Amino acid sequence: MFLRNRYNYLALFFIFYFLFIIINFFSLQILNINDSIEKIDQQTYDIFYLSAPRGEIYDTNSEKLATSSLEPHLFINLRKINDDNIVQYKQYLKYNFQDLKNNELEEIFNSKDALYLIRNINNLDYLERQSLLELEAFEIFDYPIRQYNYGNIASHIIGYIGRPTLEEFEAYPDSRRNGLVGKSGVEKYYEEQLSGIAGEIVFKGNEIIDFVTPQAGEDLYLTIDIRTQRIVTESLLEGIKLANENFDSENIIQKGSIVVLDIDSGEVLSMVSLPDFDPNKFVKGISSFDFNQLNRIDAFNNFAIQGLYPPGSVFKIVAYWLAENEGLFPEGISARDNSFKCEGKLSFSFNDGSQQVYNDWKQDGHGNVDLSSAIQQSCNVYFWDIALKIWRTYEGSSSESILQEYARNLGFGKITEIDLPYEKAGVVPDRELFEEWTITRPELVRPEGWLGGDLMNLIVGQGAITTTPIQVANAYKTLLTGYSSSPYFDKNKENIQKVKNYNISDDFIEFLLNDLNLVTNINGTAYYAFEVLGSKANDIGGKTGTAQNPGDKNSTSWFAGVDSISNPRYIIVTVVDEGGSGSAVAAPISRRVIQHLIGVDLTPVKFGEITE
Amino acid sequence: MRERKVTLLGPEGTNLSIFFLFLVFNFISWFTLFVLTEDIELNFNNILIRQIVFSLISIVVFFLITYISIENIRTYTDSFFVIITILLAVLLGTSPKAGVRRWFDLGPIDFQPSEFAKVITVLFIANYLTKRKSKYPLFLFLGLVLFLILLQPDLGTSIIIGFVIFAIIFVSDIKIRYLVLIILLFFTLFFIFLESGLINENQLNRINDFFSTDEDFQQSQSKLLISSGSIFGQYFESNRLEKVFVPVETTDFIFAAYAYNFGFIGVVFILIMWLLFFLRLSQILNVSNSDFDKYVITGFVTLLAFQIIVNISTITGLLPLTGSPFPLLSLGGSSMVSTAIIFGITNRIFIENNLVI
Repeated sequence: MFLRNRYNYLALFFIFYFLFIIINFFSLQILNINDSIEKIDQQTYDIFYLSAPRGEIYDTNSEKLATSSLEPHLFINLRKINDDNIVQYKQYLKYNFQDLKNNELEEIFNSKDALYLIRNINNLDYLERQSLLELEAFEIFDYPIRQYNYGNIASHIIGYIGRPTLEEFEAYPDSRRNGLVGKSGVEKYYEEQLSGIAGEIVFKGNEIIDFVTPQAGEDLYLTIDIRTQRIVTESLLEGIKLANENFDSENIIQKGSIVVLDIDSGEVLSMVSLPDFDPNKFVKGISSFDFNQLNRIDAFNNFAIQGLYPPGSVFKIVAYWLAENEGLFPEGISARDNSFKCEGKLSFSFNDGSQQVYNDWKQDGHGNVDLSSAIQQSCNVYFWDIALKIWRTYEGSSSESILQEYARNLGFGKITEIDLPYEKAGVVPDRELFEEWTITRPELVRPEGWLGGDLMNLIVGQGAITTTPIQVANAYKTLLTGYSSSPYFDKNKENIQKVKNYNISDDFIEFLLNDLNLVTNINGTAYYAFEVLGSKANDIGGKTGTAQNPGDKNSTSWFAGVDSISNPRYIIVTVVDEGGSGSAVAAPISRRVIQHLIGVDLTPVKFGEITE
Repeated sequence: MRERKVTLLGPEGTNLSIFFLFLVFNFISWFTLFVLTEDIELNFNNILIRQIVFSLISIVVFFLITYISIENIRTYTDSFFVIITILLAVLLGTSPKAGVRRWFDLGPIDFQPSEFAKVITVLFIANYLTKRKSKYPLFLFLGLVLFLILLQPDLGTSIIIGFVIFAIIFVSDIKIRYLVLIILLFFTLFFIFLESGLINENQLNRINDFFSTDEDFQQSQSKLLISSGSIFGQYFESNRLEKVFVPVETTDFIFAAYAYNFGFIGVVFILIMWLLFFLRLSQILNVSNSDFDKYVITGFVTLLAFQIIVNISTITGLLPLTGSPFPLLSLGGSSMVSTAIIFGITNRIFIENNLVI
């Protein structure tokens, strides 16, 4: 039975307690206000910040790529060190940590900080730790250790961490307290998500009076597959080695990159740049010798997004698209399946009467060529002829740069906005750019400015144009799906915005796939590279490219391909800097990657046929 | 009594409805977090956005609960009690977060079963006392729940549930001497528990600190923060907020930040609103014929009032730090939703009793 009078006692208790609270607040907020404000203003606590464990990084199969483990570290409270005990502490540290060098010891005791991190004491047992704590200036706190489980593999994607600079203090306020900041890769791009909130150790005088534990950063799930990443890296290394053996170039070939994009989503399944580095080296502080050695070979550059190369013949698909879409074919033909005879060179005359001859890479010519076989055999004459037609029809008008517009439409000349820092945009040259350059960079252009020859160079991906491997991969993705979007690494971006390109019809996509397929089959430039696949090569497509470089630099070797014609899933773009012919080096490397993607046995990278 | 038309907001003629008060408390929490949030970004990690989302969910929960009849709630009370007991037991098998096992990690949100255990325990006791004669098996069940929460360890919640149990039993017709006996037994067990080291070191230190003469640092800081709020609050001059070290100022210490920003006036306002709410609830006792209703109301009033008392006493240094939220003010989804359930059931009791307030 419910007893009402007992409830009244309970209620009375609450009412009195609430009244008591109000009286208490009255005394605090009204009677003691001045005291408190004075106390706060005079408060001289200071805080030592303790790094938070960074969020962990996983691959698409939840494999841990970067971990943060909390390990006990010995700190010394320097506020408790005075002239009387400094010698004792120094000797104690010297005796117990014999790897501690004299200058390190000096650094510790000369520091202006209240707390100083001495050593990781994870390997000490409980009793040893307790005996350390008997000295009153020693403190033990958990301190996070970053570890990269796959070393060099995916190092450019993951990036590395280091001490923040002044600019980074500004950009990432948490980095000041954590004392660490992502320097490149997703470690930098997702710094705010990964960094976490530093712990606080509050000092009053020389005593530690409060400790707020750090809060770990959020984990990051990436789209890459570390197994694929490893195989792609191996393939590129193998191909580079072969290129060095087969070419008598004066320069050593060591730079290259590969991008594997999911064609529907724009997820990056793999991105490799060589030479690479081991991000673990940065965790304990890299020696300047190691750093300089890696820096000298550009190991910290991610060539997949920062390498600027002329694209060579892989760029021909832009003109291919333009020809198909605008009905703009070489002089005398009006459809994709009309052919003209390629005699290995193109000669033409200018208004001033001068005569110019352009020679194709194949001296004897390609014979009868239509749009499909022009892509298959990478016939330059066919595309030069299109450029000439554009030039003769539109020179000086606003349509003059129609080819550049098509190229920009595919993302050339601007960054793809992939979620990595330091991406480069490259250039798509036109009359305006050349006019600008005559003033700002006169060494790059002739005084005559933009000429028809420049357009003819551009159409075959030569001359002033520069592109990054990720741009090329993304452009192929756009042309093969009809949608453009940014490539990405963060799994959370699944619903990234896709823009429909209405100039890319389903028919066009089918034509392009079929013509790319011709390249890897008989008479195609990449036939020898893909021969080993046998009938499987019937379902694969791609385009080779060999881009000439100025000076004594060897050509850039390119291949851009797709893993399947009937059911395309991945775009593969391979670049070997100074690798020479695309069909000889980049194509067989890509072939090994495609073998992995379609699940057939891997065969070694074999030096292919030299074309172009 | 004249039959009145009934809506989900209460019987016809209701002015200061339960829902209205529920909204007022929600708005206060939005406003407090708005003041505490430096930059408002539209994503779920932003505390203000998070709280608003939880608020909206809890308003839906409020109406869903109002829709369920008290009879139905009573039917399922025992099952809920079993489920929450199992959840609390399962929770102890998960990996600890920051040294305690208090939450199930459900992606973007954390689910804290002990918040719901508070509500379910009240319903369970009320149902038990109205149905059965012997009260003693009850203590076995309740002891189990308390024990499971104590093991997390969560001293704050255990103390609050313990007090709620005491209050409901107290208003039943139990003989006072038995009650005293039970309390003595409870304290004996509690101290055995303390001695056996099952309470984590951190909390033990806090209790020890409390009995020592040194004032706890965080509590002294939060007192300074409250005090500097003055009469009208320091809403327009929040630079002192950075000079004090109040740790979880959006959860357990949020009332300190509230008192700082809105001053004595703000403190009196929110306390009076709560007292008004409790006073309204108590009117059920004059009207209802159902002992279940009365026990439930006693339980809810005690639960909310005692949480407020413990929270405020903690931040002003009158009690050791235990970590207990301020209802409908502290950031936290589980606490928000479980409080919405309390308001919803109360609203339903008002409707079924045709009580106009």
